[in-house]
Amino acid sequence: MIAVGALLHAKQLSRSPFEIATALIVPVVQATLAVYLFRAGGEPGRMLEAAVGAGLMGVWSSVLFGSGGAIQNQRWLGTLEMIMLAPRPPALVILPITLATALTGTYAMAATLLWGRLLYGIPLDFADPVAFAVAVPGCVVGLGMFGLLLASTFVLLRNANALTNTLEYPIWLVSGMLVPITVLPGWTGPIAAVLPTTWGARAVREAATGSGAVWPSLGVCLAISIGCLAAGALMMTYVERRARAAATLALA
Amino acid sequence: MTDLFRLVGTGGVIAYRALFNWTTPAMFVGTLLVGPLFQLLFFAYLGRQLGVADDRFYIVGNAVLAASLACVFGGTMAVSNERRFGTLGHVLLSPRSRTAIFLGRALPYAGNGLLIAVTTLGAAAFLLGLRIPGSALPALLLTLAVAALSCGFFGLALGALGLRFRDVWLVSNVSVALLLLLTGVNVPAAELPAGMRLAGQFLPITHAAEAARRLAAGDGLSAAAAPLVAEAAVGLAYAVLAAALLKLFEAESRRHASLDTL
Repeated sequence: MIAVGALLHAKQLSRSPFEIATALIVPVVQATLAVYLFRAGGEPGRMLEAAVGAGLMGVWSSVLFGSGGAIQNQRWLGTLEMIMLAPRPPALVILPITLATALTGTYAMAATLLWGRLLYGIPLDFADPVAFAVAVPGCVVGLGMFGLLLASTFVLLRNANALTNTLEYPIWLVSGMLVPITVLPGWTGPIAAVLPTTWGARAVREAATGSGAVWPSLGVCLAISIGCLAAGALMMTYVERRARAAATLALA
Repeated sequence: MTDLFRLVGTGGVIAYRALFNWTTPAMFVGTLLVGPLFQLLFFAYLGRQLGVADDRFYIVGNAVLAASLACVFGGTMAVSNERRFGTLGHVLLSPRSRTAIFLGRALPYAGNGLLIAVTTLGAAAFLLGLRIPGSALPALLLTLAVAALSCGFFGLALGALGLRFRDVWLVSNVSVALLLLLTGVNVPAAELPAGMRLAGQFLPITHAAEAARRLAAGDGLSAAAAPLVAEAAVGLAYAVLAAALLKLFEAESRRHASLDTL
């Protein structure tokens, strides 16, 4: 059910010219910016890192905006009541949506790598191609599960959009997607340590550059994400019951 | 003349309150004040790590760029949200000058952009420890105001596309991303290829960022005058372009009866 649901929602998101163009163009612009910044900084050897980092930033943006608006989008489409009527736990119905947003976020990763290869001749010499091929989907699944927690939390907040717009750069920054977390103030360390994005980004970067052991990072990413999934499922059940009791499911 | 000022001023403010999606306090603070500050911190730390430029370069540049978010999306909302709320036809039926109506709408967004730029600059200077000479502040404020106005007209020119295309939000999103890359705010212009540098010359923010950096370095208004004038010229060009596009697309939509069918 999760796989079919995720595929369905990924197909639906992939039909939107806006979603696709945003997922492809904006990360490519960011990748270009990263390439010129790394060149200006005299780090031509880290171009692959720049392209991968920009791709990860695109995946996070997709999860953040897609999952943050998952419930609201269903409400606007007029399908929220129908999916909530399904004889399944609400988390199982919403999780495919958040997984789909992470899945469509991989367009950004593909776009930045391809762009870097074709335009800037960045060699796609992954230190561990097998680990990279596992780490990217692992990171995507992890972020999808994290997305469920975001979706369930944001539905409780009247101004969730404000939080969504605010969270893009802080997570990019604290998770070390492009900026190493070692250069950040010390107090950001504990925040980074509990975010699945930090470990997912680290696993993907380690697989691409060979800067460390991939599997422990990926394992921590998935462990934290499973925790987020459990918390998100509980939250979703609570939100659904509250909305049914108060008859507010269709109300923004 | 009083009527014209009322149309531009009061009309602009009413339209701002009605059409700008981020007027609630939470949305305003979260999206327009906190968001740009984190963007600035992101690039300041990235620049520090790569050793591309010093903190002043990133703080001042990104503070000027912070004005663009409200202005670009605001300009788009000023036109596109009329269609979304079903009121575009009513505005275009007005017997008053639509050029004045729409150009007036850029002013509140420019004011908004100025507020955001000043707040971002102040907060970032405090957090990252940047000292700006007190004597430079009036000219710096003027520079931020010119940048915000220039961005407001740039946003309105993009918003004019909303009379012709439905997916104008895509244009806004991509434009904001391109401003990050092409204006030399985060990558020193000398490091960009000639084509990108040239494109940046025709965009808002580029010249204002240069002027603001000179002022923040204590070089004085005379050193910043040339880029400041260039920024004003870019803004004026976008105001003319916005007016021309609005007139053209309005006439076209009337001729083809396609206002709400695109």
